[in-house]
Parts: sequence; structure tokens; C-alpha cells
Amino acid sequence: MEKPLAASQNLMKDYLSDLLTDEVMDQKAAETEKLNKLLQQVTVTEEKPEPAPEVIVSKKSADTKIDTKADIKVKTAEITPVQAPVEPKVEIPQAEVVVKQEPKAQTHVENTSKEYRNGSFQAMFFDVAGLTIAVPLVELGGIHNLEKTTSLVGKPEWFAGVMLHREQKINVVDTALWVMPEKCNEQLKESLNYQYLIMLNNSNWGLLAENLVDTVTLEPEDVKWNEGVSKRPWLAGLVKDRMCALLDVDALIQLLNRGINVQQK
Amino acid sequence: MSDEKRVENPKKGNDDEILQWVTFKLDNETYGINVMQVQEVLRYSEIAPVPGAPSYVLGIINLRGNVVTVIDTRSRFGLESSEVGENTRVVIIESEKQVIGILVDSVAEVVYLRASEIDMAPNVGNDESAKFIQGVSNRDGELLILVDLNKLLSDDEWDQLKQF
Repeated sequence: MEKPLAASQNLMKDYLSDLLTDEVMDQKAAETEKLNKLLQQVTVTEEKPEPAPEVIVSKKSADTKIDTKADIKVKTAEITPVQAPVEPKVEIPQAEVVVKQEPKAQTHVENTSKEYRNGSFQAMFFDVAGLTIAVPLVELGGIHNLEKTTSLVGKPEWFAGVMLHREQKINVVDTALWVMPEKCNEQLKESLNYQYLIMLNNSNWGLLAENLVDTVTLEPEDVKWNEGVSKRPWLAGLVKDRMCALLDVDALIQLLNRGINVQQK
Repeated sequence: MSDEKRVENPKKGNDDEILQWVTFKLDNETYGINVMQVQEVLRYSEIAPVPGAPSYVLGIINLRGNVVTVIDTRSRFGLESSEVGENTRVVIIESEKQVIGILVDSVAEVVYLRASEIDMAPNVGNDESAKFIQGVSNRDGELLILVDLNKLLSDDEWDQLKQF
């Protein structure tokens, strides 16, 4: 039994280091990089910088130049008799302005105020495949022993099925498959010994857990909070002492309701 | 039967429609199909394979002179195939104006369900087979999965079946 435990611990370390590494790449840095790229393009042809409306330049047009005025001139030249040679800037590929939201916006999760973050709060820790996950007690809907789960055809692998508990139909999430599908090989899947169902707030969603570890009171400074818009809305932050993920339960519920997992699939 | 009592004494308003469902088992899960679509239930008899038939077609049977195509329900539901047993049945159903047979592990009973007792299945998964599920219901502590037979096959597949 030592080997699987060691493997699980390694898995946890890898996973957390992945999380931390990615978190280092701050959102602001990414945005600045994006802005810089756009500015570079704009300065080439933009003669009169105007207050830029909120436009999204698609990848396809990443190397194009925005020159809306020039485009208008070209079009006018086409329909009116021209005496003087007009310098059509036909060689400038027209920037493709996408008005609708990027597909990424699909993963946008509504920000909800988290009052518990302003002071000390309790969090419960549980284990899944060697990975410890924390959930704030104020957002914990309950804990059930795992009972018979009825699988439904055509559902993603992470959707373990529906568990009946009294009159409630609980949607059961295979936590390991949801959180780290890329690390879930057959061996790991077979070794999973789920025993509990961690209910998420007042929703019908429950996360499978192998072990309940303990409950601890945390101070805001004990957590490296995931600020602003994040690639991982489900991650409220990382508990520094234990190096484990603290769930943003409401964001997680929103993702589950949309049927997408941690990889936004 | 308690079910019948429930019909006689509806606790809720008349708009809470009561539907009858024929339940069957597949891989230890219980599924329900609308009784109005079920014509009869047959014991398993030899199913003649049809060369070149789509993978979801097990073969054909002769039902009192009529040829009926039998669907491989297990494969349709993404389940592994199993041996034919004592309780294996072919449920003859009518859907999309066609009569077909579906092979099931066993047929259980007819249950009465109020519309209010049926919940939507969680809206996750883009798989075609996710569309089969019309809803779920808690039946004596067991989850009953209600199947929309019309969506068991796609429009193209229903058209394909007409050729048999």
C-alpha cells in the first residue's frame, strides 16, 4: 500500500505545483501583453487615436492593422468618380472586429461577494487521490455517506451519476476526474475509494471524497487568494500551510451547472 | 396496488398529469418508457442478423408475419454487451411511426408517475446518448431513468430503419 500512497503524494505535489506555476502568470501580465500587442499593431497605421471601444480582435486578425478611416475612404473611392489618384490602402488587411463575446467568455463565472474572506473562517479539508482540497464551512451544504449512484447514459466521465438521498437527487461529481482528468489513468481510477459526498452549498451537486481530514480555522492571510478574473474560477485560493486548493463553491456550482470541468471542457 | 390508489386520490391538481411507464432493466439500472409506445413484450427468440446493417441493429425477428428490426439497446446506451439470459426480453415499441424491438435485460413493471415526480436530468454532456434521457424520478428509493424513445435514434437512423 506504500506505493500507491507515495504515488498519490507525488501526484498531489505535481498538481499543486502546476496550480502555483500557472497562478504566477498573473492575469494582469497577460492582459498587458495582449494590450502591448494590440498597441503595436495600432501605432503602425493609426493616425488619429480614438478612444478605443471595447473590441476584441480575433486571433485570425492578430497580424492585421486597424484603420477604420482608411477603409471608409477606399469604399467611397469605389463608388464615386475619382479625378485624383486615391491611395487605396487595399494592401492593408481589414481588421476583423468581433462584436460578440469570445468563446472564452463562456467560462466566465459571476463574481460573488465572499464575506468570509474578510475575517477568520473555518474550512474543512478532504482527500481525493492524494490531493487535499479545502472547502469553506459556510459554503458546505453537508456531508453524506456515499450510497448507490445511478449512472446516466451520455454524461461526461466526471459525472458519476445521481444519488438518491431521502427525497433529494444529488448529482455526484467524481472529484478526481473533474479536477485533474489528465492525471487520472486507469490505475488511479481503480485505486479511488470514495466514501463521502461533500455537498456544495444549497445546490444538488456533491463532490466525492475519499477521506475527511479535519476542520481548521483560517485567517485571510493563511490563503493566497485568487484575485480578479481567473482561469480557475473554482479556485478561491491556496491554503499556504497545507499547500492545498481552497474551493470557490459558488463558482464551482456555476461551472458544474454548465457541464464543464476544470479544463473548461 | 399502491400505484392505483395514487391515481384515484391525486394529492395535487388535475394539471399534474399521470403517465404510465413500462420499466426495464439494463446493466442493473432501471429505465422507463412511455406505456403508450409499447405494443408488446416478447421473450427472447432468435434474432436473425442482417448483413451490412448499422452497428445499432442487432437483427430482425418475424413477428406474426411482420419483420421487426431489433435495436441493440446496450450498445446504444454505451454499455457492454451481455449474454442473453432467462429474463431477456424484446420490447416491441412504436416510435416515429415505425415499429421496432429493443433488447433489454428484463422487463419489470408498469409504474404510474405524476409529471411533478419527474425531474430533468442534469444538463451536462454533449454526447448524443445524453438526449435519450427524458427525466429521472425517485421510485421507492431507486432512481428511475425515463427514456425518450423518439430520440433513441437520430432522424437519419430512423430513415435508415425504414429500409429494413
